[in-house]
Amino acid sequence: MARHPDTDLVPYLRGELPPAERERVARHLEECPDCKQDTELLRDLLGNLAHAIGQPPEVVWARYRAELREKLEARRAQVRWWRRPMPLALSASLAGALLLVAVWGGRELSKSPDSLGPDEVVIGRELGLLQEFRTVERLDLLEDLEVISNLDRLASERQG
Amino acid sequence: MEPSDEALCERVARRDEAAFDLLVSRYQARAYRLAWSILRNAEDARDTSQEAFIRLYETAASFRGKSKFSTWFYRILVNLCLDHKRKHKWWKLWVRDDDDRSDSILDRQPAPVNDPVDKLSREETLKALGSAVDRLAPRQRAAVLLRVQEDMATYDIARVLKCSEATVRVHLHRALATLKKTVEKH
Repeated sequence: MARHPDTDLVPYLRGELPPAERERVARHLEECPDCKQDTELLRDLLGNLAHAIGQPPEVVWARYRAELREKLEARRAQVRWWRRPMPLALSASLAGALLLVAVWGGRELSKSPDSLGPDEVVIGRELGLLQEFRTVERLDLLEDLEVISNLDRLASERQG
Repeated sequence: MEPSDEALCERVARRDEAAFDLLVSRYQARAYRLAWSILRNAEDARDTSQEAFIRLYETAASFRGKSKFSTWFYRILVNLCLDHKRKHKWWKLWVRDDDDRSDSILDRQPAPVNDPVDKLSREETLKALGSAVDRLAPRQRAAVLLRVQEDMATYDIARVLKCSEATVRVHLHRALATLKKTVEKH
């Protein structure tokens, strides 16, 4: 005898099987009393299941639809909120970034001299010089001007 | 002539509110009943079926018409129900949501039969059967409910559960074998 068509029985009962398969199952049921009995039990079971599962409590459909409408509106508003605040989100991000820079900068400025590196210490020592950078930048020119202003004196010294 | 579900869904994709309302009216009872059969709680069933309609509204444009609208919609609904069950699995162990079971199986049955003994026996069997359905694995239960309540073909159940027809046949076979044992005990 061919294998029992266990998984084919429900589709067979519903008349879903293609003709060849249906024929095969029908032939098997004629030869196999166990499967035939199973099929009858399944038929009864499927018939009783709808009653066994029962019906849900009554619903007032107008209220159901009103609730659904409210939920749909709330969802739309939520979506609009996400769409609208893109500039807000962007500005919030920028504010966050600025805050981060400010905090980071503040920490850098508040560092103690002990925590500075050697290069920073050297630059710090020359800070006065850097503050007079305009003078330093023109130092060669100032020397030249001094020479020029003293030319007469130098010439008389040579002649003397 | 009444517009088809598929035509209404296309209109919903274009944000046609009237088409959406019509689809809701057509499917509200079936959606709620199926959700309740899976979740066995009226409030959860109402919320989940309403959520399925909201998803329908939001994703109507993704319905390509390759399957029937009902199959597509039931897939959304069943997935939401199975997700809900998964999320609340542990919570339900502590808090029993048996508000819907307060009415006995008798209250849910139409037309009393004449023989009280038969009636009692049948009621007990149906009650045991209902409880056994509740204890089935979620996908087995969904397959059984789609078959029994929605009278869906194996092909359509496979589309809803996103699996092969062979898998649906196995789900149904195993589920019904379990339920058969319950009936045999009574």
